[in-house]
Amino acid sequence: MKSIKNHLMFILPLMAILLGIEFFLVFDRTTDSYEKGLKEGYSMLVVANKTMDLAALKKLNAHIESSESIKRENIVTEIAQDMSQSSQDEILQALPYFYSVRLDSYLSTSGLEKIKKDLEKDESIRSVETFGSSYSSSYRLFSFIKLSLRVFIVFMAMISLFLIIKQMEVWKYAHSERMQIMEIFGAPLMLRSGVLFKVALLDALVATVITVGIFLYLKFYWATRSGIDIMVQNQESLFKMIDMAILLGAAVMIVIFAVYTVVFSTKGVQE
Amino acid sequence: MSNVITASHLTLAYDKGKKEIIKDASFSIKKGDFVFITGPSGSGKSTLLKALYGQLKPTEGNLVVGGIDLARASSSKLQELRTHMGIIFQDYKLVNEWTVEKNVVLPLMIAGYSMDVQRTQAQRLLKHVKLSEHAEKYPLELSGGEQQRVGVARALSKNPVVILADEPTGNLDEYSSNVIWDLMENACQQLETTVLVVTHRIPSIFSLPYRHFIIENKGVYEVH
Repeated sequence: MKSIKNHLMFILPLMAILLGIEFFLVFDRTTDSYEKGLKEGYSMLVVANKTMDLAALKKLNAHIESSESIKRENIVTEIAQDMSQSSQDEILQALPYFYSVRLDSYLSTSGLEKIKKDLEKDESIRSVETFGSSYSSSYRLFSFIKLSLRVFIVFMAMISLFLIIKQMEVWKYAHSERMQIMEIFGAPLMLRSGVLFKVALLDALVATVITVGIFLYLKFYWATRSGIDIMVQNQESLFKMIDMAILLGAAVMIVIFAVYTVVFSTKGVQE
Repeated sequence: MSNVITASHLTLAYDKGKKEIIKDASFSIKKGDFVFITGPSGSGKSTLLKALYGQLKPTEGNLVVGGIDLARASSSKLQELRTHMGIIFQDYKLVNEWTVEKNVVLPLMIAGYSMDVQRTQAQRLLKHVKLSEHAEKYPLELSGGEQQRVGVARALSKNPVVILADEPTGNLDEYSSNVIWDLMENACQQLETTVLVVTHRIPSIFSLPYRHFIIENKGVYEVH
């Protein structure tokens, strides 16, 4: 019973850290695709006195990825339906050139303002419409969710680290006598720390397997049955095979750090 | 015969040199010597022993054990030196979660001997210390005298060059004390093991020729 408790005292905080890492990875992947969607759904309107190609626009600001000319004839047809052909021709001649411009990434509102200023520096550009208000609200919401989750993950990791440090004190108490005796008889570091390493690596493996199990369950069982659109759409992002290596790697790193800290802090025989 | 231990102008101190325990001591101990170190409580007997197994670095002077200058030895050199030593503590220092047999073979385990060799040696030594039937027990299941005999068996398991014993029979009954003295005498006589014993009094039944050092007023003096 005591032994199970000792294992759980390390497995649970380690699992919390691994869950945090996995949440971070999943969130990063999900928000990446969401960000891509937001970016693709957004364009700004550039009004120019003359025709402008993509290279000319890119020269003004590197974030511009593509531009599409809006057919002036369609605008004229729309606004001058009842006018004569000659009047429509005159309007067409007087009408500036309109471009729908897409960006290479999902920028902040200040980023959009900078692009606007850069474009307006060119004398051929009359005005730029960024549609800032609707963009700003989705950007802020998106940034808020992203920040809150990251803060939560960092907070969870910190609490877990404190619990791991507490467990390291328990290890020190439980293993120091044996390690000190072994040191007196000339045992090398690896042999002295061997037992502790075995215990900690077993715990790391258990914590990784449980964490992987939770995310596999979420991916293959819960996500499809939840009916939540974002989960169903991003089911693939919920767990990837590479995550298993990342989680095991992180768990092993934590174990190495924790065990060596305990080993190096228990030098010499206590009289 | 060559010196196994040489101390010249040796000073040992705690608190970064502030609290001197032994000052300017010089002595040498040859291979196969049986040495008793006596002195009043707190005189520095155990401190000298600690320095001999490299747990305390000399503050001044030299202390050479098995050709290794302990004042300058790296941790790997110290580690190597300790594998040639058998150390016996007054409070036994056995690993309580290990069986008696595993405790006995600790030095062999560290040296990388096979399990078969370990088992054979453990059986032989436990027979010598009259604990064969306790091989699978844990130290806390044994009496103090029995635990100390396990400690002696552990110290002898790898035929060490030097045995350092700190009050090995301090609180033991006569039977256990006699078994321990016999074993150390045999090691010294048959294997030419150098034995250093820190004790309050030299046993009356002791039959081997021995050397006697007294630690007093921070000095180490040989009694002739």
